Amino acid sequence: MLPRWRFLNLQALLLGIGFLLLVGISAATIYLVERSASDSKQLTDTLSIEDKLSDIQLTVRRAESSQRGYLLTNDRTYLEDFRDAEPETRDTIAEIRELAKTSATRQTTIDRVDELVTGKFREMQRIIALNEQGQRREALLQVRQGEGRRIMTELRDVIDQAIEQESNLAEVRAKSSRNTSNLLLFVSLAGALLIVGIGALSILLVQRNYRRAEAARSELAATNANLERIVEYRTEDLTEANEEIQRFAYIVSHDLRSPLVNIMGFTSELETLRQDIFQEIERLAGELAATQGAEPGGEEKVPVQQLGAEFDEAIGFIKTSIDNMDRLINAVLKLSREGRRQFHPETVDMDALIASLVETVTHRAAELQATLRVESLPAVETDPLAAQQIFGNLIDNALKYGRDDEKLQIEIRGRLTATHAIYEVQDNGRGIDRADFQRVFELFRRAGRQDRPGEGIGLAHVRALVRRLGGTMGLTSELGKGSTFTVTLPRRWSAANRSAA
Amino acid sequence: MNSRMSELPVEIVMIEDDEGHARLIEKNIRRAGVNNPISPFANGTDAMTYLFGADGSGLASKGKPLLVLLDLNLPDMTGVEILGRIKSNEHLKRVPVVVLTTTDDALEIQRCYDLGCNVYITKPVNYDSFANAIRQLGLFFSVIQVPSPH
Repeated sequence: MLPRWRFLNLQALLLGIGFLLLVGISAATIYLVERSASDSKQLTDTLSIEDKLSDIQLTVRRAESSQRGYLLTNDRTYLEDFRDAEPETRDTIAEIRELAKTSATRQTTIDRVDELVTGKFREMQRIIALNEQGQRREALLQVRQGEGRRIMTELRDVIDQAIEQESNLAEVRAKSSRNTSNLLLFVSLAGALLIVGIGALSILLVQRNYRRAEAARSELAATNANLERIVEYRTEDLTEANEEIQRFAYIVSHDLRSPLVNIMGFTSELETLRQDIFQEIERLAGELAATQGAEPGGEEKVPVQQLGAEFDEAIGFIKTSIDNMDRLINAVLKLSREGRRQFHPETVDMDALIASLVETVTHRAAELQATLRVESLPAVETDPLAAQQIFGNLIDNALKYGRDDEKLQIEIRGRLTATHAIYEVQDNGRGIDRADFQRVFELFRRAGRQDRPGEGIGLAHVRALVRRLGGTMGLTSELGKGSTFTVTLPRRWSAANRSAA
Repeated sequence: MNSRMSELPVEIVMIEDDEGHARLIEKNIRRAGVNNPISPFANGTDAMTYLFGADGSGLASKGKPLLVLLDLNLPDMTGVEILGRIKSNEHLKRVPVVVLTTTDDALEIQRCYDLGCNVYITKPVNYDSFANAIRQLGLFFSVIQVPSPH
């Protein structure tokens, strides 16, 4: 494939050549037409000169006939033609002179013709004059002497020669004219062919260009479609992977519970058995002591009681661990269940939602002497249950982690941007160390003093929910001063939110 | 239970793959003072063969007073499938089925009730609650009336 710039250059070059060719053809045509016109004018001149020369010869002959008629008859009426002939001939000669202006040969010829014609007319005039003076004999003698005939013969020869010359010239001119015409035709045809050729080449190039553009376009379209497909696949993969994780979490936590039921059940069974076992041991010990005559109790009793205490301690640890494990499994189960829950978006009146949440904690807040201040909150299109869980958890957290030295103050604020609704839950509680900002959102992780009950799932749950709603979770906090949790949710619900889950 | 109402005592068919769970359930049922015979099955296939007979028609259980204790998570089939089969069988559909499982998923519970399960009980990890639930189930056994065979 040619590089694009070379291709463009080629097209420009062709266009340039085409243009130059057109100019050339036009110039050649103009020149040739011009030449053709000049050729034909010269040809016309030649024919005209031939014609006029013949005229001169004819007119002079007519004048001669007129003179002879007068001499024969002495009738003066015969002289009419003679009188007309001289000025007629002069006019014709003047015309020929005009036409022959450019040619020296013609000038010489016409000069000679002029001279002969003038001589002839003078000779004829003299004879007529003699006759008129009554010297008829002298006049006829002059005619007989043949000077007039000699002049006529010479005139005829000169004119014949001139006509022949003109004929030759005409032939040359005609030939040249034909050549010019042929050349014009050839140039026109060649030009037309060249232009057609260049046009065809241009069309070919344009077509090739178009095809190439078309190919590039369809390739681009194919790439785009492919890209869309890839994105679709990826989204599908992610959704599947997400679902897989949810299922996995569910199955694992569910299957872990089964053995836990047994461990707990049989531990309790052991506890029940303990009563019987130790009663039996005490009874046997008593019996043994009685048979051996020793006093019951005393040194013997202490190890049995110790055994019982150790047994109870072991059982106690097992039971506590089971309870912990159960809580953790339940937490995973809850999260996985939340992850699978279908959202039902609607326009949520956040004022009402937060008010109802605040109401449920009124009692606790009063106990803690905490104050809750809720500003007017913007509505948002989202899942109401999820929103309830998110803010319920955040308010709960704020109440949970207060400071001993200061009364708790909780503020809930909200505002809108062009695309998002932003809510803040601020407290003046114990705060979170900057190093723990990530950690507090992780499952089963907690930060700071561990003096409050909890599994470390609240914030993990909140962040998972916010993300599934298409939003983001933010935290700013200073240890010992308080924390602000920021929930940013899209104002409008869109299907894309779900795939981001 | 209800030996007064019919000549045969009600037989408890316990379909539970976890031996420990089966043992704990049995212990607590007995503790509740229920002495009815218990037929334990550790997998769905054996239980189905027992309930529906070799021909799978359910004719084998016709006229037998039964009560099924069903776990939903079985190695070879789901309890939900067994529940569905029991409740759609001409001879077994009136047999009370108690679903006893670790799943407390709302959808699962709903599905079981939709299929005709009579009681749904979640196995709590807390043994006291567990024992309590089973005992109450035992008490329940002693008062419910199993449809008398025709």
